Amino acid sequence: MKVDVEMGGGSPKLLERKQAVYRNLDEGYEIHGEKYKGQQYSHIYFTRLHYMRNLLYSLVPKWKPNLPVNTVLGLEEEKECIIAGTMYKHMKLKPSILDEYSKERSKVPLVKPHNFVHPDDHLILEDESGRVKLAGSLLDPSAFVTGIVVALHGKETSEGKFFVLDMLEAGLPPQIEQPPSSTEDKYVVFVSGLSIGSSTFNPLQFQLLVDHITGHLGDENEQTIASQIVHFIIAGNSVQILQGLLNGQTIAPRDQAALTEPIKELDILLNQLAAAMPVDIMPGPSDPANFSLPQQPLNRCLFPGASAYNTFISCTNPHQFELDDIRFLGTSGQNIDDLFKYSEAKNKLEFMERTLRWRHLVPTAPNTLGCYPFTDKDPFLIESCPHVYFVGNQDKFETTLLRGSDNQSVRLICIPKFCETGVAVMLNLRNLECHPLCFSTSLNV
Amino acid sequence: MASVGIGGFYRQKKRGGGGVAKPNPKRSSTGKSAAIALSFTDPDQSLVLGAIAEHGKTASAVAFEEERLRQFDLDMRYGPCLGLSRMERWDRAAAMGLNPPADVEAILLKSSAAAADCHWEGRI
Repeated sequence: MKVDVEMGGGSPKLLERKQAVYRNLDEGYEIHGEKYKGQQYSHIYFTRLHYMRNLLYSLVPKWKPNLPVNTVLGLEEEKECIIAGTMYKHMKLKPSILDEYSKERSKVPLVKPHNFVHPDDHLILEDESGRVKLAGSLLDPSAFVTGIVVALHGKETSEGKFFVLDMLEAGLPPQIEQPPSSTEDKYVVFVSGLSIGSSTFNPLQFQLLVDHITGHLGDENEQTIASQIVHFIIAGNSVQILQGLLNGQTIAPRDQAALTEPIKELDILLNQLAAAMPVDIMPGPSDPANFSLPQQPLNRCLFPGASAYNTFISCTNPHQFELDDIRFLGTSGQNIDDLFKYSEAKNKLEFMERTLRWRHLVPTAPNTLGCYPFTDKDPFLIESCPHVYFVGNQDKFETTLLRGSDNQSVRLICIPKFCETGVAVMLNLRNLECHPLCFSTSLNV
Repeated sequence: MASVGIGGFYRQKKRGGGGVAKPNPKRSSTGKSAAIALSFTDPDQSLVLGAIAEHGKTASAVAFEEERLRQFDLDMRYGPCLGLSRMERWDRAAAMGLNPPADVEAILLKSSAAAADCHWEGRI
């Protein structure tokens, strides 16, 4: 008699996977018709300043109604006023290409590669008419980065600096009302940093994850939970190609396999996933996609097996979508990692909160993070507050619920690197609570 | 810079050495297509062709229009002028609600200068 091992005897119950209505909102990040004509980055800063400044000007009357608003060139000494512009942080330790040409080589201090903050950093505010150094102890330079647009209340000092009395950030953007919570649990699973092809990748660990999610593991309870997973997001760094192969020299035939093996392995695993549920895969810093943000979707030719399924969706980085009218926004980690290099905060969640308050997903682009020189838009401006904001390839799993002044509520999620931690994140769409899914293959309990 | 053809590059060098030469206003209004296509022809011939293309306007009228376009290029309110053609910059300003001047649009639409880049293109 054939016993269904998974169901443990008796008549097998057919569990059906739940579904959610998916809407992809990546059009702003795709570079279809853009043609590079040799333009520089001034246009992105212009559009960013224009949009954010109009926004700040509309918020100024509620903040400080009786003060005049000036441009930087229109500042008068000892007259209190409000100026709005792009912030620039002058950093002593920021690596500069010009250091190669400086005569005195010995003065360059040894920099920690992961953080360039120095107590001597100072802030400058800039708009089209000019720039002015910021003085006063209200603003701590270590909390800011180049590229954010803020409004400042203060006055010009006799030295020609601007003494800051108060600062206005744009704050969390308005949020579309969350749909009334449904009665059923639906889950979304996030994973990032698989790093297939690296020495830390454990194939058994990821196979465990795949089997668990597709319902091939566990008893009926486990399978019931697995059947409630409606979507799977891979937030970047799915493959890692040996660095030595990418130095521009021709590759020997035996090394060519090392180039293609990781992608083929990823395709096999994605095939299993795509057969079971909708999968979104985002490119990351180590994936075979373009370097500058917004990263374009991984080419479907890389995944001949998985792309046959219509549940397989290759997405841009950053990625924005809606599931059952709940808006998600996320990146593969480059924006937060860059903020970590050039500013300080108590944890990664605080960096994420700052990007929402500044209403800009990647404030350090194009200053220290590569980005495409758009001429007519800045696609990283956050116009509508997401309900879920996730960042991949972080060191550990962290999450919090951020509340805004206008009744906004955002679930912030830091997704850890799976190859190092074996942790994936599961989010419940009903109440936006999330918990980690830990997989381990070590036999020591 | 990507927009100037080889002919345009050498043309500058011939005129008075290393500094940035100020060419005849009529020259810049022939647009970059002239620079690429006529790289082996006599530069003065392309000048003549350009003048004919301006529908027989007088030299002073053309100079006035060019002056107006240059003022539009340098107006800070509409953003940087490098890297965009003038019409694209006008369209961008209109889309952003900055109300760019309508007379500039009129000049751009009727002449071949619409596809032309700003005055500084290729020189910076």
